[in-house]
Amino acid sequence: MNAHTSIEIQTLDEEPSPETYPAFVELRDVYKSYGANLVVMNAMTLDMRADDRLVIIGPSGSGKSSLLRCMMGLEGIQGGEIRFQGRRYIQGGPGYAPTGIDRALQRQIGMVFQHYTLFPHLSVLANLILAPVKVGGMSRQEATERARAYLVRLGLESKLLAYPSQLSGGQKQRVAIARALMLEPKLMLFDEVTSALDPEMVIEVQNVMLQLAEQKMAMIIVTHDMHFARDIATRVVFCANGSIVEQGPPGRLFRQPKEARTREFLEKVLHLD
Amino acid sequence: MNYHFDFSFLDGKVGALLGGLKITLELTLVSNLLGLTFGFLLCLTTLNRRAIVRWPARMFIEFFRCTPALLQIVWFFYCIPMMFDFFIGPIALGIIALGLNLTAFNAEAYRAGVQAVPKEHLDACVALGLRPWQRTFYVVLPQALRSATPILMTNGIGALQQSALVAVVAVGDLMYVGNRLATDAYRPLETYTLIAVIYFALSVPVAQLVRLIERKQDFATER
Repeated sequence: MNAHTSIEIQTLDEEPSPETYPAFVELRDVYKSYGANLVVMNAMTLDMRADDRLVIIGPSGSGKSSLLRCMMGLEGIQGGEIRFQGRRYIQGGPGYAPTGIDRALQRQIGMVFQHYTLFPHLSVLANLILAPVKVGGMSRQEATERARAYLVRLGLESKLLAYPSQLSGGQKQRVAIARALMLEPKLMLFDEVTSALDPEMVIEVQNVMLQLAEQKMAMIIVTHDMHFARDIATRVVFCANGSIVEQGPPGRLFRQPKEARTREFLEKVLHLD
Repeated sequence: MNYHFDFSFLDGKVGALLGGLKITLELTLVSNLLGLTFGFLLCLTTLNRRAIVRWPARMFIEFFRCTPALLQIVWFFYCIPMMFDFFIGPIALGIIALGLNLTAFNAEAYRAGVQAVPKEHLDACVALGLRPWQRTFYVVLPQALRSATPILMTNGIGALQQSALVAVVAVGDLMYVGNRLATDAYRPLETYTLIAVIYFALSVPVAQLVRLIERKQDFATER
């Protein structure tokens, strides 16, 4: 393996050997299709360590979002299995819903979406404490304290009692990140969280994600922003047509892609930037 | 126009008018209570996963939406007593007919509200670990009821106007009393104008409230 190109938040100089770092997330021959003609994950196999920040890139329809949605347990897979923290998490099976999902493991995963998903009828505070109180069994007071602490960290303390409609797009996404963090997940999934934002708001959301990276949060990120991918990833995975074409540290993959398919894609997207 | 408005014939008739008004309000309020409650339950039925449950509910809704309200009232008034050999009183039958009609229309209003909740919110609920019933009660229904409220209120005012139809089956509501006064005193212009003003005065505040709520919701709408 090539050595990492060092970037500000990067702490690993080289990839540790698998023996010393047990796999955190393991995809084994994961197969998923929507009908016979649209295969979005074709025997996908992928390992991720607990200190990894995977960035998934690739043309649209390459299975990036499906990977995150299956990982979150929003959709099932038809074949293979997903393991999480060394335990079986989701198995392949028929049907739209995930088969044999381990709910305890599912609760340790947080996700932020492309579209705003703050509940508009609830204040920022109520959005943040809903799941910890109703699902996590936390007291309202404790949850409120925690919510306040997260909002202070995000510089959104003054918005505690605001409603989502009173927030800018960037603020909404930051609150959505805080809401996912309230449950103290071990893995965070980000599905194109800045795609719907005006350019000037992209940075404020990306900065929050970089902060999380500094705190060694394990993340899987789907993004079209190659510069951000380079800044945050420990490893970049390039997918096309439901398969992983190539993966590696961002410095290597962006500068010297091994596969022609990767090079072609990167030339296209980096040109557009 | 040389007509001279003369309301003096109303002396001593105010009591009758108020009696009619009371029955009109009773018909409206109770049919709204029925419509709001059963409309909600009917909406849940139309959203059921099983077609065998959905299908009768849809038939019910389409029956009431696709036949004239006047016919529904007349049908209930004459046919229910014949079919079941009992008569529960004209006002009760009027309430049932109006209430069932409103139930069908309100079910559609609730359903539109539920379907207006973005799919992404359901995904977010799963990601937050909310159980299906928690998702329904804390996220879907509060949003659905909010967006359904203006339509439910508009349907409610509609029920007030529709209640005038029960006059044809001799229920002594405001319309019925008005008809009688107009013919007894040969003063249709004064009587019907007055009755219209009363219906109008009852509806306008609610209609204004609907507009206010809609404007507030537009302001608060996302994206």
